Amino acid sequence: MKSRLLNVLAAAIAVAIPVLAHHSFTMFDMSKKVTLVGTVTSFEWSNPHCYIEIDAPEESGAAKHWSIEMGSPSILQQGGWKFSSLKKGDKVTLVINPHKSEPGGGFLFSATLPDGRVLGNGPGRGPQK
Amino acid sequence: MYKKVFCVTFALATLLPFVFGQSGKTPDLTGVWGPLRATGANAKFAPPAAGPLVLKPEYAKPYEARRAMEAEASKRGEQLATGGAQCIPYGVPTMMRIASYPVEILQMPKQITIIGEAFSEVRRVFMDKPQAPVEDVAPGYYGRSAGHWDGDTLVVDTIGIKPSVNGYQGMPHSEKMRITERFRLLSPDVLHDQITIEDPVVLEKPVTYTLAFGRLPDYEMVEFVCDNNREYVDEKGIVRMKIKDK
Repeated sequence: MKSRLLNVLAAAIAVAIPVLAHHSFTMFDMSKKVTLVGTVTSFEWSNPHCYIEIDAPEESGAAKHWSIEMGSPSILQQGGWKFSSLKKGDKVTLVINPHKSEPGGGFLFSATLPDGRVLGNGPGRGPQK
Repeated sequence: MYKKVFCVTFALATLLPFVFGQSGKTPDLTGVWGPLRATGANAKFAPPAAGPLVLKPEYAKPYEARRAMEAEASKRGEQLATGGAQCIPYGVPTMMRIASYPVEILQMPKQITIIGEAFSEVRRVFMDKPQAPVEDVAPGYYGRSAGHWDGDTLVVDTIGIKPSVNGYQGMPHSEKMRITERFRLLSPDVLHDQITIEDPVVLEKPVTYTLAFGRLPDYEMVEFVCDNNREYVDEKGIVRMKIKDK
């Protein structure tokens, strides 16, 4: 009987968890924000995620490259993004949550585009359009 | 006077099939439907709470062990491998609600087609053919669905889901799993999909949950081809992210 009750309890807890499209974000440190000021080397409008590749020198001036994960095109377009929002050579400022174990990796929180617009990473994450 | 009567009759004839399906026509579910946020004015359309998922003891134990491992990994900042992280489609019934992605329903007399935006999943509901015996259906992600109208409700019976396909809440399932869905318009723009999963091998009793959808009249479905998946599973079964160096 106890086991049955535990099963039901476990199930009730499980039911509250939404299905993630691709993966969880536990690999990123959501409690920490890092600001990157740099130059876009590519903007990939793709599934399951879009990416901003950016050269953002460290404070010492040393070169450093980052791969920044975003939502999918479907999610991002709801926040004002388009496939043409960024291009190689654009100067941008990104606020990201760094990857916990992969240096140079991160998840976008917000981006200041060359035209001054600040976009988040889809509905409910960062500033909205 | 006649004009007024005509207008009222016309309005009822137009609206009733959408809402009640009582004029001899079936409701038209065609359109794009997104997850309904059942708050404010939409609170009355909130779906009933999901029923408990009760597995037979021999399945409950490994299921709970896996859940515990996932929670432990998450505490370490890691995620255990999932099909989704490897861009493997979710199949029926999970594809009906992937995060905030919409589904599109195309209703024709002989076939109703449902397209999930996430992973571009497609399922076909045959309206003019009886269901096949489960032993005649090649196991797959979408199985075989046969549908009929029960008054204003579209009833869809699905069998033939491959046991390896991601189950509801990650539940295991056998080739004997049967999914019965009841689609019903609560208003012209609100749709409920009540999903009942039966599996005499794995489940102690059927589990039922309901998804609420809101119509997205102007939405254009976005393509979703998973050709840039930078997440991969390492030798320990952990999801990792590829970082480019330039």
